[in-house]
Amino acid sequence: MKHIFSRFSFVLGCLALLSATTSQARAAEGLVIPQFLEETSSAGVDSIYRGDWQYMVGGGAAAFDCNGDGYPDLALAGGEGKASFFVNKSAQAERLQFSRFDSGAELERVTGFYPLDIDGDGVMDLVVLRVGEITLLRGLGACKFERANEQWRFKAPEAWWTSFSATWERGAAWPTLAFGAYIDPKSENNPWGSCTDNVLVRPIPETKGFADAIPLKPSYCALSMLFTDWNRSGTPSLRVSNDREYYEGGQEQLWHVNAGEPPRLYTDAEGWKFLKIWGMGIASTVLSGEQHPSYFLTSMSDNKLQVLRSPPDGPLKPMYKDIAYDRGAVAYRPYTGGDLRPSTAWHAQFEDANNDGFADLFIAKGNVDRMPDFAEKDPNNLLLQKADASFTEVGDVAGVASFANARGGILADFNLDGLIDLVVVNRRETAKVWRNVTPDAGRWIEILLADLSSNRDAIGAWVEVRQGEQIQTREITSGGGHASGQNGWWHFGTGASQSVDVRITWPDGRVGEWQTATTNAFYVMSPNDAPRAWTPAIRAQ
Amino acid sequence: MSGYPNFTSKILKTLLHLAAVFLWLTSLGFASLHAQTAGLTSEAVIQKWYTLSLALIRHTPTYSPPVASRSLAYVGVVTYEAVASGSDRLQSVVGQLNGLDGLPPREPGQSYNELIVLEAALAASIRDLFSNTGPSGQQAINRLSGELRTAVTSAEPDAASVERSTRYGEAIAAHILDWSRKDGGAVIENMGFPWTYSLKKGPEHWVPTNPLSRQQQVPLLPNWGNNRPFAMPTNTECALPAPLPYSEDPQSAFYKEALETYQTSKALTPEQKAIAFFWTDDAMATPTPAGHWISIVLQIAQADRLPLEKLVDVLMRVSVGMADAFIGCWHEKYRHDLLRPITYIKRVIDPDWMPFLLTPPFPEYPSGHSVQSGAAATVLAAVLGDPYPFSDKTRERDGAIPRNFTGFIAAAKEAGISRLYGGIHFRTAIERGYEQGRCIGAYAVALKTLK
Repeated sequence: MKHIFSRFSFVLGCLALLSATTSQARAAEGLVIPQFLEETSSAGVDSIYRGDWQYMVGGGAAAFDCNGDGYPDLALAGGEGKASFFVNKSAQAERLQFSRFDSGAELERVTGFYPLDIDGDGVMDLVVLRVGEITLLRGLGACKFERANEQWRFKAPEAWWTSFSATWERGAAWPTLAFGAYIDPKSENNPWGSCTDNVLVRPIPETKGFADAIPLKPSYCALSMLFTDWNRSGTPSLRVSNDREYYEGGQEQLWHVNAGEPPRLYTDAEGWKFLKIWGMGIASTVLSGEQHPSYFLTSMSDNKLQVLRSPPDGPLKPMYKDIAYDRGAVAYRPYTGGDLRPSTAWHAQFEDANNDGFADLFIAKGNVDRMPDFAEKDPNNLLLQKADASFTEVGDVAGVASFANARGGILADFNLDGLIDLVVVNRRETAKVWRNVTPDAGRWIEILLADLSSNRDAIGAWVEVRQGEQIQTREITSGGGHASGQNGWWHFGTGASQSVDVRITWPDGRVGEWQTATTNAFYVMSPNDAPRAWTPAIRAQ
Repeated sequence: MSGYPNFTSKILKTLLHLAAVFLWLTSLGFASLHAQTAGLTSEAVIQKWYTLSLALIRHTPTYSPPVASRSLAYVGVVTYEAVASGSDRLQSVVGQLNGLDGLPPREPGQSYNELIVLEAALAASIRDLFSNTGPSGQQAINRLSGELRTAVTSAEPDAASVERSTRYGEAIAAHILDWSRKDGGAVIENMGFPWTYSLKKGPEHWVPTNPLSRQQQVPLLPNWGNNRPFAMPTNTECALPAPLPYSEDPQSAFYKEALETYQTSKALTPEQKAIAFFWTDDAMATPTPAGHWISIVLQIAQADRLPLEKLVDVLMRVSVGMADAFIGCWHEKYRHDLLRPITYIKRVIDPDWMPFLLTPPFPEYPSGHSVQSGAAATVLAAVLGDPYPFSDKTRERDGAIPRNFTGFIAAAKEAGISRLYGGIHFRTAIERGYEQGRCIGAYAVALKTLK
C-alpha cells in the first residue's frame, strides 16, 4: 500500500511539475489565456440532465435566437425530467442572465436539441431527439413552439435517438434530415450488437413535408452525425461517429448522400479506412494550413484529430491522418485534479476563445456512470490552437476545468461582447454557464447569414475571413457535437486586425465577393449585398 | 489448418466422440450430477453466465488478453468447485492450484440444491470480476442474475435449502475470489499501461508501435509475468531460449525471418487474410484469445452435449492452462523484450510497410496467441481427444466466416500462423510460443479431477 501511495505521489508530483512547466511555456509563447467566469447561479440557469441507463448518453443543448433580439437563447435536454428553455436576458457585455420560459419545448425523455429552420419561414424550429419519438417543433415566434410531426408528415420509428444532422440537397426547398440511433432500448439484458437503424428523412418535392424514413444500414450506435462537404465538392457527405462499446463488426462511417440517389457508404476502395472508437462527438474546423475540414472525434482515452491526406494524384479520397497526438490534442486523461485515469470525452467544438484568429477546441468530459477504470474527476478541456496548428491545454487556468459529469454543450457569444461564452450540460448535476471575461483578447467579427432561399440560415455555406495572408475558413453546418447544436452568429477572432475581408460561398455554389468589414462588429450577410452592420438594442440588466 | 470435413470424417468424429463420452461416463458409473429446474439445467446456467462473461470481456476496457485469461480461470475454478463440491466423483483442485487452500465445507447432513449452488457461485464471481464494467454490463449482470435466480429458486420448495445453497455457492465464490486478490493481477490501472516505464536501450528492444496513442507509448502489463501461476509451479517453468540474435545483415537469420513476414504480408491470399482476421482476438473488439477458446468449448459443449462434470472439468482446465500460458508468455516477453516486425521492417526493409493487423502494444517474443493456443489445444486434446472435428462461429457476428477444424492442435497452429499473416510476429516467436504453450498446458492436464 505504501508502495502504491509513493508511486501515486511521485506521478502526481510529476504532473504538478509538468503543469507548472506548461503554464510557463504558455506564458513564454505569448498566448492570451482566455478567462471564464462561472455565472451559473446568477445567470438563472438551473437544469439537470436526469435519468439512469437510457440517459447515460445525450444531454444536449441548443443555442439560437428565438425572439429576434439577436441574443442566443437556450434549450437544454432534461433526460428523464423535462427539458428546459431559457430566454436570454443578458445585456451586451454584461453578466449573463437567462429567464426560464414556457416555450412548448419542455418535453420529457429529451436527449438532445438542434435548431433548424426546417420550413424556411424565417422562424427557427427545433429538432428534439428523445428516447422514443423524434419530435419536430415548429417555431411560432416569440420563443414559442408547437409540435409539427403530423403537419410535416414526419415519421420515424421509435428508438433511442442520440444524433442528428441536416443538409439541403441540391435543388431541394426543405432539408434532408439524418438521425442517429443508439442501442435498442428493449435489449437491456444484452445490449451489445443491438444498435438500431439510423435513418435519412428526405423532403417530398413541391410539398411541405417529408417522405418515409430510409434506414441507413448498417448502423452502429451513432452518437454524432455531421453533413460536411469534406472534399468541397459542393455535395456534403454524412459522417457518422459510432460507439464501439455496442456495435459488432462496426466502424466509423461516411455516407454518400447524393440528390436523387439512395445513400451508400464510402468503401475501403474509395479510401475510407477502418476505424473503431468510442465515437461520441464530432467537431470540425479548417485548421491553419489546411484546405479542407479537419475533424475532432471524441472518445474514451485517446481522442482523434483527423486531417485529410489524400494521395496527391487523382480525385480526393476520404483518407485521414490522426494528428491528435502530434498536435497536442489527444486529451486522453485529466490534466488537473489528480485523477490519472483515462478520460471520457463527449461534446467538442472549435471556437476562438481568445480572439487570436485560431479556433480553439473545447471538450466536455465526464464519466459514463461511475466506471472505475476511467476518471471520475474528469475536467473539461480548453485547448488553445497556436499559429502552427498545434494545441496547448489551458482549461484549468481559463477556469472551465469543471469536474461535473459533462455531456453536451455550446460555445456561443451569449452577451454579444465578441467573446465566446460557454454552457455545459451535466449528467445528474445542473448545467453550468461561464462568461468569457478575457481582458486582453483580440478583436472579432460575428456574421449572421441570411440566405434568400428556403435554406434561410445557409446551412452548407462557407465563410472565409481574410486578414493579411491568413484566411480563416468555416463550414456552416447543422449537426455534430454531442446532441448539441447552434444557429445564428458565427464568430471569428481577428487578433489585432482593425478590418478584415469576408467572403461567402453560398450553399448553391455562388461565390460572393470579398467584402471589407471593420472588426469588433456584427454583420448580417445576404447574397449580392454588402455586409449590413448590426447593433444589439441597448437594454438594462 | 481448416477445411470442411467430408462425410467420412464426420462419421469418424461422431464415433470418436461417442467413444470418449462412453468411456468417461463409464468411469463415473453412468451417474449424473445433471441438475435441472423447470427446464433450466446446470449446463444452461453455465452457458448463460459464460456467454455474458465473453460479452463483458469485450466491453470492459481493462480486459486485455492477459486480464481476460485470468478472470476466465477464476470463473472456471469457481464453476468447477461449485459442481465438484456436490459430486461423488469429482475431486477439488484445492492443494493442486498454487495457493488455493481449503474451501468452506458443506454442512453435514444438510441437503443442497446443486443448481442454486452453481448459479449463486457463478453470479457472485462474475459480479466481482467484472465489477468495473460499464453501466450496460452492470445492468446485464443484474438482469441475468435476477432471471436465473428466479428460475433456480422458484422450483425449490424448501426455503432453507434455497438459503443454504445460495450461501454455500457464494461462499465458494468468496473463497476463490479472496485467493485471487493475492496473485499480482487483481489491480489494473490505466487500462494496463504503467504510469512510468523506461524503455530498454538497444536496437533489438521493443519500442512503441502506435504513434497515435498517448497511452500506448509504454507497453501493456509489463509485470504480468510475475503473477502467481495457477497450475504451473513457477512462472519460469517453461522458459524459452533467447530469440534469434538481432541483426540487420541481410544474410542473418533474423533478417530472413523478418523478410518472410514482410513478403508474406505483401502477397496475402484471401484465405490468409481470412485466417488473420478470424484469429485477431483484439481486446475490446473480441472476447480475446482466451475467450475465443472458451467460446470454442461452449460451442462444442452445446453441439456435442458434453455432460456437466466433463464440461466443468474442461472449462476449468483449459482456462487455467491459458491463464498460466499468459503468465509464462509475458514473463518471456519482458525478459527478452524483442522489437515488433513493424519496427524492424520499417527500419531495415521498407519504411512504408504496414502489416495487415494492428500491432499489439507489447514485445514480440514469444507470440501470445501461439502460447495460449498451444496450452488450450494441449488441454482440449487431452480431455476431448484429437483429432476432434469442430466448427467455430466465434467471430460470425463480426463478419468472419465460421471456420472448421480437424482438431484442436490444427486450430492452435492456425491461430499461431495467423500472427505471421497479420504481420505482427516472426516465425520463431510463433513456433517456440506454441511449444511453450504445450509445455505450460501439460500442468493443467496433470490436474487430478476424478476421485
